[in-house]
Amino acid sequence: MKIKLELFGVCREFSDQDYLNFNFDSEIKIKDLRKKVESLVNKKFPENKNFLEMVKKSAFSSQNNEIVNDDFKLDKNQTISIIPPIGGG
Amino acid sequence: MFHCEVIDNSKEKITIQKAKKFIESQKCGASLYFLGTVRDHNNDKTVTGITYDSHDVMVKKSFKEIYEDAINKLKLEHPTAFVEHAKGYVPLGGISVIIAVACKHRAQVYEFSRFIIEEIKKKTPIWKKEHYLGEETTWLEGKPIDINKA
Repeated sequence: MKIKLELFGVCREFSDQDYLNFNFDSEIKIKDLRKKVESLVNKKFPENKNFLEMVKKSAFSSQNNEIVNDDFKLDKNQTISIIPPIGGG
Repeated sequence: MFHCEVIDNSKEKITIQKAKKFIESQKCGASLYFLGTVRDHNNDKTVTGITYDSHDVMVKKSFKEIYEDAINKLKLEHPTAFVEHAKGYVPLGGISVIIAVACKHRAQVYEFSRFIIEEIKKKTPIWKKEHYLGEETTWLEGKPIDINKA
């Protein structure tokens, strides 16, 4: 199963592209994806604890653009977004 | 009546004139224009501009929900709102957001406008990267979205 994670705000720093791609063997929950992102950030930016903190504080939105909780299931190929702490206006 | 949009600042600019055309109504005795602009300092640094990032689809959805919430909670008469937020680079003094509202009476427009901007701060997925004089750009920390209230 392929999950494309669109990046916004500070999370754009995680990649030169606007997204990250993940492959999973079976169904997962948002909390599993969050762990994957944390692991990637830890490996890529070991000195930057702020990035890790931002992932922990981020929400995720489904392909229907709804904010979803950590138990939301992902069971097919899809594109979702990571929503780090916001600050418009 | 309601209008909202995310404006790519590299292609067009937010203007009061466009908002004025939209909210003008003979049914309303009060109108109010709120502008958010880029100021020259933050956290003891000299700010030269801000780059705004936006999840456009969710931003527009959020604006519409905030407008509907305002109508339900504030019991407004003849409410009209025009909300636009910039994305991309906005230089010092540039407009980042406009909230133009009109209602039957003056007290309502102050409440209406304040409600919209405060809810945007809490719920709308927009991010700021500040540019400084002589220092590295920084993404501002922001506030986590409350999943239970989203």
